[in-house]
Amino acid sequence: MKNIFRLFVVLTLASLILTACQSTSATTVATEAVSEGGVTVIRAGTGDGGEGLTPHQQIIQNFEDQNPNILVQLEAVSGRDYYARLLTQLAAKAAPDIMQIGDDAVPSFVEKGAFIPLDECIKQNNLDTSIYLPGLLDPGKVNGKQYLLPKDYSPLGVYYNKKLFDAAGVTYPKEDWTWDDLLATAQQLTKDENGDGVPEVWGIQLPATWTTGFEYWIGAAGGKLISEDGKKYIGYMDSPEVIRAVQFYADLYNKYKVAPPPADLNQFGGGNSEFDNGAAAMRLFGRWPQSGLKTNPNIDLGVAPPPQDKQRANVLFWGGFGIASTSKTPEIVCKFLTYYAAEPGAQVWKDWALPAVTSVAESSGQTTDPIEGVWIGELNHLVPRAYTFTPYWNETADPALRKVLETVLLDPGADVSAVVKQAAQEAQDALDKLNK
Amino acid sequence: MAPNPRKRRETLAFYLSISPWLIGFCLLTLAPMLLSLYASFTDWDLLTAPVWVGGENYRQMLDDPRFIQSLKVTAIYTLIYVPFDLVGGLILAMLVRARLRGSSVFRTIFYLPTVFSGVAFVVVWMWMLNPRAGLVNLLLAEFGINGPRWLQDPNLALLSLVLMSFWGWGRSMVIFLAGLLSIPGELYEAASIDGASAWIQFWRLTIPLLTPTIFFNLVLSVIMTFQTFTSAFVATDGGPLDSTLFLVLYIYRQAFQFFNMGYAAALAWVLFLIIMILTLLLFRSQPFWVFYLGEGNNQ
Amino acid sequence: MNQETAYEPEIFRLRGWRKWLRYTLLVILSVIFLAPVFWMISSSLKPEYQIFAIPPIWLPDPPRWANYQEALTSLPFGRFAINTLIIALGTVIGHLISCSIVAYGFARLQAPGKDFLFILLLSTLMLPYPVTMVPLYIIFSNLGWVNSFSPLIVPAFFGNAFYIFLLRQAFKQIPTELEDAAHMDGANFLQILRYVILPISTPALATVAIFSFQAAWNDFLAPLIFLHDQSKYTLQLGLSFFRGSYTVNWAYIMATSLVITLPVIVIFFLFQKAFIEGIGFTGTKL
Repeated sequence: MKNIFRLFVVLTLASLILTACQSTSATTVATEAVSEGGVTVIRAGTGDGGEGLTPHQQIIQNFEDQNPNILVQLEAVSGRDYYARLLTQLAAKAAPDIMQIGDDAVPSFVEKGAFIPLDECIKQNNLDTSIYLPGLLDPGKVNGKQYLLPKDYSPLGVYYNKKLFDAAGVTYPKEDWTWDDLLATAQQLTKDENGDGVPEVWGIQLPATWTTGFEYWIGAAGGKLISEDGKKYIGYMDSPEVIRAVQFYADLYNKYKVAPPPADLNQFGGGNSEFDNGAAAMRLFGRWPQSGLKTNPNIDLGVAPPPQDKQRANVLFWGGFGIASTSKTPEIVCKFLTYYAAEPGAQVWKDWALPAVTSVAESSGQTTDPIEGVWIGELNHLVPRAYTFTPYWNETADPALRKVLETVLLDPGADVSAVVKQAAQEAQDALDKLNK
Repeated sequence: MAPNPRKRRETLAFYLSISPWLIGFCLLTLAPMLLSLYASFTDWDLLTAPVWVGGENYRQMLDDPRFIQSLKVTAIYTLIYVPFDLVGGLILAMLVRARLRGSSVFRTIFYLPTVFSGVAFVVVWMWMLNPRAGLVNLLLAEFGINGPRWLQDPNLALLSLVLMSFWGWGRSMVIFLAGLLSIPGELYEAASIDGASAWIQFWRLTIPLLTPTIFFNLVLSVIMTFQTFTSAFVATDGGPLDSTLFLVLYIYRQAFQFFNMGYAAALAWVLFLIIMILTLLLFRSQPFWVFYLGEGNNQ
Repeated sequence: MNQETAYEPEIFRLRGWRKWLRYTLLVILSVIFLAPVFWMISSSLKPEYQIFAIPPIWLPDPPRWANYQEALTSLPFGRFAINTLIIALGTVIGHLISCSIVAYGFARLQAPGKDFLFILLLSTLMLPYPVTMVPLYIIFSNLGWVNSFSPLIVPAFFGNAFYIFLLRQAFKQIPTELEDAAHMDGANFLQILRYVILPISTPALATVAIFSFQAAWNDFLAPLIFLHDQSKYTLQLGLSFFRGSYTVNWAYIMATSLVITLPVIVIFFLFQKAFIEGIGFTGTKL
């Protein structure tokens, strides 16, 4: 015991000394970097993780090669915790120079002055804003002014497994297919051979209680969740169109049983794995898991647009970068930002996700690719997302909508109309309190 | 009563001895506590400066159904979890206390689940509780029972989390172990010489001498369980239908998802008061049931 | 309950059916407690899409050992490990030193205001971290300590309510005769603590060491907000990268978690002996 203790003390003293050396050397490097030879360090915050960091690092590397006086320090936090750190840093006025945020956070951050408008920056660096694919600048705009430039994006699409379609002799989804087509196709594909009530193959895997993704269904049915002035849910969230959308969605699960029940309500998209395992013929989701799906031996991948009902609709999910208002070197940050968001950055991105710049998308063949082309094509059918109408989406409508979806999915006997109306009322009450 | 020099010296010694903590407290704890107290009287979105609103946040709480819900959830969970944790930990400690071959292996096994950090372990548990393919329901199916939907059932989600928490008994087991092992052997020897049976020894010797440890585990369990966060955050995000909306989760949400740091701080201070009151009550109860070997009366 | 009470005083030898009953119980419980761990190991060896397969795949065939290599090399986990080790060791030493002193004061010395201070001590455990971390960050930011290990190690030298409480309970249980004797011989506070109290408190000290190490090793929120650049990240932060915003790589998470946890298990196993050896000092055999 004494020996363990002694070893312990020695180890600790050693490591404390190491720490002391480390932190001094770290701070020395930093100060030297800033003062010597005018090298500027800019900090970039991002919420990406894992391999998602590689494109960032590559772009940074390319930029630094071209601009030897600038160092970009990437500060990455993966997932939901990103905002916890970002907000803490903002509160302490120690935020990074360039920050990435998701689309639904843009209005709040901009309205609270966290970002500077980019018109100066765009002019100075001769950024031609028409180089982008349709709809990609809008999420970064507030009141007509541009505050953020696109990083990556994804609309919704329907993945389908050609293997399963072929085995069942069903034709692939067409571009202009409807909700009824979807139902029919799914029913043809759902197979329960041994009659135990659990199909071996499901028609379509749906993203469970994902609220923002559900806006596609509402849009396709011709409905809206909120009024244009952002003050009323009643009359919108409880409209017949919304009720129809919820009913259809719930029926896919409970009445027609073509969708597997959610595996994990807390995971983004329901946590199901049927499509991955070749046990579901279709899947409605964004482009994010696509690279994994392409290499999955169970799947021969195809992608179709989401089916239309009253109209064709889709919703865009988007992340962008902007310059923090607390940045001490906005011109330099601007240089990086415009490099990142324009063609040079897009050239790197095209290997990882869909690039935002049209010319890059075209030259890499993605616009005409049978799969990628579908995603890009969807950019022409976007409906505005509800968060753009009110800064209180997160606190009011999102929980209410989540409750609706949870209720109707978990309880086959639920009265959809009543549930929706109640949710709209709850959302309205919450909104009124905040708007007063 | 003139302060005698001995007492004065002792007082000085006391304050000197706790000075590390006291200094640290003033520098590192008091300030954040006071700041957050101040924040609770403001409207603060973290991006702009706080705006004083007086008791508005506290008033708002009374109107907030989610707050009431989160209190309920947290209270129920604590009420169920704590007794199980104490009893379970004690039983495990008793089983592994013997200085026999293999005891250290078993101790490590029981402690093992608590060693894994939040996320991975909770995820494994979520999978085990999966309605169709999870281990638990598969086992139940062997007995012909149609397993429930666990984390997806608003009525069962909270209980599922309680179930998950049982694998954390290792922590209280370790503390009980330390407590058990510090009971001097001669007391047992004396008791058995006097003819006391194992049963009697347990109830009249072990348990009373263990009360400081039980007290410790109880107080800490209450304080910590009221602040449960990780399992709810990872497993259910408060759902379904807010059935697992723990208070700290709600606080986190208000602060970092809704930009309502002021309200979050107010909620946190209400939580603080609740825990404080409970702790004080527990401390008050000490003379009735906690027995310190090093002080005074024998049994 | 009979079988359990029979074991507890060592004087009673476990014979016959009681011994076997105890072992059976232990084995059954072990299987139950190990089930999740088994699942983690199994998952860590599967290709990603098999992890949540229905019906579940119990044993991956063939086991994908490459997961470990890929996961651990995808990020500089070696660096993360060193960082985490530094933080953890610093924290443990800090806690052991400061908490023993403070706990002894609370356990044995009398002074006006002591009870109030003890409650105050406990109250520091009652405010949830998400709320105190923002003001803490502001403070450390003004001190220039952000993006370093200091905010994570230095506070340990000022004590921690949990461990102070634990040690106070332990110290209070020691019969005062030994200290009284030492007092007679003219020993002062620190001497008594060092030479009389601490040697016989090894179970409690070992407990503090284990918990403290583990808490520091597994800490996520504090490193999250105080460490900015990746070269300073800890293992937990590295682990969180496998949870991307849209997709999660569960196999890597399981594999990495298992590897990361090994040191803690080893520490626990080693320090267990401290429990047992500590017994010898409390008088006679137990």
